[in-house]
Amino acid sequence: MTITRRPFETDAAAEELAFVGKSPARIDGLEKVSGAARYVDDFDFGPDLLFAEIVESPHAHALIKRIDTAKAEAVPGVVKVVTGADFPFGFGLYMKDRYVFAQHRVRFVGEQVAAVVARDEGAAKRAAKLVEVEYEVLKPVFDPVFAATDDAPLLHPDLADYPHVPWFFPHEGTNIAHWRKTRKGDVEEGFAEADLVLEDTYEVPRYAHCAIEPHVVVSLYDRAGRLTMWSASQSPYTQRHVIAEALAPLGLTHQQIRVITPYVGGGFGGKAGVSMEIMGAALATAVQGHPVKLRFSREQEFYNTYQRQGLKARIKVGVKSDGTILAVEHTMHWDAGAYVEYGANVVNAAGLSASGPYRVPNIKIDALCVYTNLPPGGPYRGFGYSEFNFGLESHMDRIARRLGMDPVAFRRKNAIVEGDTLAYGEKMNPSGLLECIDKVAAAIDWGTKETSDDRHKVVGKGFALMWKAPAMPPNASSSSFLKFNEDGSINVTVSGMELGQGYLTVMAQIVAEVLSVPPEKIRIETPDTDRNPYEWQTVASHVTWGCGQAVEAAAIEAREKIFEVVHRVHGFEEDSLFLRNEAVHCATDPDFELPLRDFVIAGLETDDGSYRGGPIVGSGMFMPEFTSARSDPETSQGGHPNVHYTVGAAGVVLEIDRQTGKMHIRKTALAVDAGKAINPDLVIGQIVGGLVQGLATVLYEDMRWGEDGRLLNPTFTDYKIPTSLDIPEEIVAIIVEVPQPDGPFGARGVGEHTMIPAAPMIANAVEDALGIRITSMPVTAEKVALSLWEGEA
Amino acid sequence: MAIAHQFAYQKVATLDEAVEAIARAGPDVRILAGGTDLVPWLRDDAIHPDLVVDIKAIDGLDTLTREGDHLFLGPLVTFSDLLTSDLVRDHLPILFEMADTVASPGIRNRATVIGNICSAVPSCDAGPTLLVLNASIAVLGPAGARTVPIEEWFLGPRKTALSSGEIVTGLSIPIPTPPHGAIYLKLQRYQGEDLSQAGITVLVTGDNDFRVAFGAVGPIPARAHAIEEALKGKDLTDGLIAEAVGLVAGAISPITDMRATKEYRARICEVMLERGLPAAIARRDGTGPAYGTRLI
Repeated sequence: MTITRRPFETDAAAEELAFVGKSPARIDGLEKVSGAARYVDDFDFGPDLLFAEIVESPHAHALIKRIDTAKAEAVPGVVKVVTGADFPFGFGLYMKDRYVFAQHRVRFVGEQVAAVVARDEGAAKRAAKLVEVEYEVLKPVFDPVFAATDDAPLLHPDLADYPHVPWFFPHEGTNIAHWRKTRKGDVEEGFAEADLVLEDTYEVPRYAHCAIEPHVVVSLYDRAGRLTMWSASQSPYTQRHVIAEALAPLGLTHQQIRVITPYVGGGFGGKAGVSMEIMGAALATAVQGHPVKLRFSREQEFYNTYQRQGLKARIKVGVKSDGTILAVEHTMHWDAGAYVEYGANVVNAAGLSASGPYRVPNIKIDALCVYTNLPPGGPYRGFGYSEFNFGLESHMDRIARRLGMDPVAFRRKNAIVEGDTLAYGEKMNPSGLLECIDKVAAAIDWGTKETSDDRHKVVGKGFALMWKAPAMPPNASSSSFLKFNEDGSINVTVSGMELGQGYLTVMAQIVAEVLSVPPEKIRIETPDTDRNPYEWQTVASHVTWGCGQAVEAAAIEAREKIFEVVHRVHGFEEDSLFLRNEAVHCATDPDFELPLRDFVIAGLETDDGSYRGGPIVGSGMFMPEFTSARSDPETSQGGHPNVHYTVGAAGVVLEIDRQTGKMHIRKTALAVDAGKAINPDLVIGQIVGGLVQGLATVLYEDMRWGEDGRLLNPTFTDYKIPTSLDIPEEIVAIIVEVPQPDGPFGARGVGEHTMIPAAPMIANAVEDALGIRITSMPVTAEKVALSLWEGEA
Repeated sequence: MAIAHQFAYQKVATLDEAVEAIARAGPDVRILAGGTDLVPWLRDDAIHPDLVVDIKAIDGLDTLTREGDHLFLGPLVTFSDLLTSDLVRDHLPILFEMADTVASPGIRNRATVIGNICSAVPSCDAGPTLLVLNASIAVLGPAGARTVPIEEWFLGPRKTALSSGEIVTGLSIPIPTPPHGAIYLKLQRYQGEDLSQAGITVLVTGDNDFRVAFGAVGPIPARAHAIEEALKGKDLTDGLIAEAVGLVAGAISPITDMRATKEYRARICEVMLERGLPAAIARRDGTGPAYGTRLI
């Protein structure tokens, strides 16, 4: 594998930056490569530690008639057996439709019905098998289109009673938990004026995150009534909040709950919000004084955390013969699973943006969040955009080809630019989409046909655009504390999570830039809600942008305190002072140089031997004060739901063996407009990682379901994620930098975006090479071969 | 990774001790060598042995030696051993090529070749290759030692000719008279470690004696004698390849499962034979791709 980094231009101001725009060593690097970094399962909780095992529903849809725990309780080593009756509490992030343990009804295979807590894992597992549950089996529903009809069995008769955020619109008496409608212009007029209208359906199945570290939580409800949780999570504060809300009937408050999140072995959205952790919290209250560990198996990781939701999309696009897009109608039935407390917001995000990064005068989007009897859907890198982009970017390619237009030229002609009106009425932010398109096209020699020396192989090229906005509540916020140490080094506390993306290093670079202290002298701890200040969640590709602003503010506050004390003792005007190389300098006195380490704790000595100042600390907060989720439910007009979009383009040179369908990626290029790459190497890491993950979802990841709703391949034996052998031959990583005006140093998020164009670009390359169009994911070698043979027959 | 099932565990020092332990314990005994099948099966509650006999401490079971015109593999020889053995490289490089497709390095370091054929899943990688090499399996039981030809070994999915109370003591593999060429082609879902969706081993000797065996496309790995007969002693031409490919459908009985459809398996078996025959010849003649090169 070769990774090529294309040079990118930096402006004069950027040249003056000492730490931002550079790629210093990761500040967590040594801990991780040396094995010093600890994860939840690495901590020793002593001999009092208990182990939990879950009793799971074997049915996709059933009523619980009776539970008998007597035999399980009799197993030696068992301490406690609990059921839904012990914790009759609902919970949820955006809609409280999920339960700690099933209440009377189970809605997916694998749902938690009861749990055993025992002194060892074997006893817990043996006892769990002895919990007797009598079910009345009900008819399940798996297809979201059918589930949205009145003929489908009703999964949540209490839907109308579930508390939810104001931007959800549940339809009582149906399985439609939320219906986001976006209307701009008049699509019927647009189609009437169009020279070509193409309509088709696309299917995207469910996917699993497959973080290497499974979910694990250790919870201790101590004798004083405090609940401490060591959790593998992307969202310590959101966990504390959701758990405090759910377990309030037990007397737990935010103050009494402490969530500690050490390093986490990958998240990809799967460890956002609260899934299995709610059980860990509840179980701890049942065995007060004993820490209890709930660690999911790989199988449970697949079927009882979150899955990426499935999608059946109908897309209709009308264009003029010159290629101008006139109308986009996108109807999406989302297979949101048994509970949608988080997944409904994925649907919401897609419902606002499923016209793609295009200038479209007439838009009609319907995004239906539909309950089905499959595992709960939820956040997954891309948050709905990868899903709808498969259909949309496949469709745009087909439209261009039918018009006889070059698909890249077609995209370029319609690409959204700054100031264009978005589907919900707001204006598009500054964007380097055209530059991304041009650079990717150049990188893969778009327009030049490639061949293979092997007579069985053909080569095609594929292209796709992407965009994505953070999907956040309008008041999602971040904060940061900062303190100096005697040697002039700095500790920063934040509550975003280092998920492997390099977030801590980027925060350190921002602090370094403001305070002139190099990143290696900045220590940032992983979150502990008792000590670190608030962060909403590490999701939505927002922490560089959002938490970065909080960290920058904390550093600026500390800098102001530094200048203030120097002014008081040395008399220089504060606006003449600046920091360079860990020292205070003065514009009006070139000889003045005061090292930070000399006074940031000890203060400055005055002529009479007394001191001024003291330990320098800073704090910062950030909330996007311009966003609003309030809009017309029928049109989505009137609000400002998204802070900004990050855009990009990707292309692929794909070699296909006509005899086997096997595909080999000769080259792939992706350009993303990072606004400002605070750490270019880490942006490249996101480009490579996102592409590889996205390519896996299209080429071989493939969930298989039994007719009873059971996931048949919940392990890596038959659910394949990429290995080092599956990396494309060459990856060209292209960073474009059109600054985001409100981002730290102009930065915006890139973490999720890089996987979004992968699937459609492969489908487009397959058509380019073979003339066949595959409209359902995944596009496996077998599917390509069978389609080809079908065409030959 | 909890194992709920409770069982007795005995670590033995000799093969005789192993046989005695098995005899005392009754029918549900499992042997622990590499454990890469056994432990996951225990974890999944898929098996419920009364006794697990650990043979890892028996001296000499990791032997990989040449005995005259045979290669001998002890029960603790791993797939990684095949990848690093000079004997394998010099005399039976097809074993290297096969081992190179098995799982991942961590698994190959533990998983044993004999364990692979004792587990006897239809997709076992060792199956087709040991079949074309006419390997034989040495077995020890209460009634003494016996030898089972590999073609009589596989009886069905996860079923072998090993009788109750018996243990495998080694694998004897005849080294074909030089020159010979061979190839193992394995259909996988991606480049990383995978179970075989369909596999084929082709071996050709100096006098154009062809041996062909398929894996993962029937209840057991099996030789394709009809194809071998059609090819026997003949020079390989495009016409002859086409004739052989025409016999593939009759030689296999693929099913549709989550790894592949039967249609895909069947067609790819034809492709693999079409590519494998000339490649095996080229290797025999010294012009083929290096062993370990993947042709599909």
